[in-house]
Amino acid sequence: MRYIARYGLAFVLLLGVWWLASWILFLVHERQVLPTPWMTFQVGAQNIRLLATAFGNSAWRFLLSLCIAFSIGLPLGLVVGFQRKLYEYFSPLVHLTYPIPPVALLMFLYLAFGIGETVKVLVVVVALFFQVLVAAQGAARQIPQSYITSVRSAGANTWQLYRHVVFPATLPSVFTAARVSVGLGITMVYIAENELGLVAGPESGLGRLIDHFAFRPDLAMAGVVGLALLGLTFYSGLDLLDRWLCRWRHLEGHGEG
Amino acid sequence: MIEVESLSLAYGRGRREIMTLDDISFSVEEGELVSLVGPSGCGKSTLLFALDGLIKPTTGHIRIDGEEVHGIRRDVALILQDAGLLPWKTVRDNAELGLRIQGLKDDATQTLATLGLEGFESRYPGELSEGMKRRVGIARALALHPRVLLMDEPMANLDSLTREKIQNLMLKQWKERGFTGVLVTHDIEEAVLLGQRVLVFSPRPAVLSEVLANPEAGMAEYRGSEKFSERVRYLRDKLQEEEE
Ligand SMILES: Nc1ncnc2c1ncn2[C@@H]1O[C@H](COP(=O)(O)OP(=O)(O)O)[C@@H](O)[C@H]1O
Ligand SMILES: [Mg+2]
Repeated sequence: MRYIARYGLAFVLLLGVWWLASWILFLVHERQVLPTPWMTFQVGAQNIRLLATAFGNSAWRFLLSLCIAFSIGLPLGLVVGFQRKLYEYFSPLVHLTYPIPPVALLMFLYLAFGIGETVKVLVVVVALFFQVLVAAQGAARQIPQSYITSVRSAGANTWQLYRHVVFPATLPSVFTAARVSVGLGITMVYIAENELGLVAGPESGLGRLIDHFAFRPDLAMAGVVGLALLGLTFYSGLDLLDRWLCRWRHLEGHGEG
Repeated sequence: MIEVESLSLAYGRGRREIMTLDDISFSVEEGELVSLVGPSGCGKSTLLFALDGLIKPTTGHIRIDGEEVHGIRRDVALILQDAGLLPWKTVRDNAELGLRIQGLKDDATQTLATLGLEGFESRYPGELSEGMKRRVGIARALALHPRVLLMDEPMANLDSLTREKIQNLMLKQWKERGFTGVLVTHDIEEAVLLGQRVLVFSPRPAVLSEVLANPEAGMAEYRGSEKFSERVRYLRDKLQEEEE
């Protein structure tokens, strides 16, 4: 409950700042530069079907990318981080490729895959993949030896070692990485939709919608609000999943004796 | 029965080699409980890891019931220093870890109850006191009904009341179950209280510098007796001598 109250407060505060900014800009330029929250929500309500479709398409694109990035990056990162020998060979590779912004490769991806759905998802996957990979790899290197010894002493094979120790031990850091990468992921969705969706209509995604309505600031602004909501949805979704799967971390108090 | 013959163990190779155990030989009879004391860092945990089959001897032999130890054996259980509980598993899941890994159908309900952990089965280690955590660690080993139990400082860093409680509990379990035990401790009184023999390690690289017969261990009233204090004093002097 307090969680929701805090978000409510932040929302109100943000609306205030937004309104103030559009008012000041209006005074300075003597015309409406930044639509007010009221104008935005009004036009948003009128075009709710279009916005919802665009939101749904962007959300689906992001969810798909997140899943693909995790299902490749997580196992790879864990194995590489955990097997010391592999890490020594693999980490230079990661550190060479990690800093390359996927946007820089956009043109090549475009040439290779055209401007279809695949390439949009691919751009986001590439960006998220490295976040997940690096986080998983780092977390796997931090696992206390005593956890490993306790399952090895019970006779665990490699698979059991991963199941009982490596995976659960790294899960919290992986969730943190996932939450942090929501911002990056949405930026990438926006860019992918814009740069690679020139022939698509505004309903194909929020990024596309914002670009398409460059001369309708109120509608574009409604798209921006949509992006914020998209981020919030994923952020809270991951947070809830974390609280459920890693509930052992969110406990307090000590027993007696 | 455990036989250790000319056991040497080194970590690392070449210039970074750290010699920990140097030509150790001793044996533990079937059903005997021996204590092992020595300065910290001398290689006590290392010896237990070797007995458990977690690390290979550099040279020498370890035999259990006449069989060379090559890896993990199901009839040998290890209680780790600081219990080594997995924080994401409940008390029950921690206690049953060994059973699950070995694919056994048993549960740890009975063992947990014996150790006074009834009603705490669904708690997480983060919710437990230090003494309770240690008992979960003990339960995890006992649930496997091992014939050989290796204990790495199971009572270290506990308040004296809790420590005494767990010492009595360990003793009771040993009498009831009749396992062969090796108890590593840096508490001399505990070593004398529980071990029918007390092995003393020198500083690293450890050699076996003393074996003290202590047949009265585990008997009622031993803790308060003259003989008890005498042996404790003797070992204390011995260890102090070695530190110098
Ligand atoms: N995995 C390892 N690699 C290298 N050195 C180690 C390792 N584990 C322990 N050592 C070293 O071996 C020595 C003995 O350690 P240990 O058996 O844990 O001592 P004790 O249990 O008697 O305190 C210590 O000096 C320690 O630093
Ligand atoms: Mg130790």
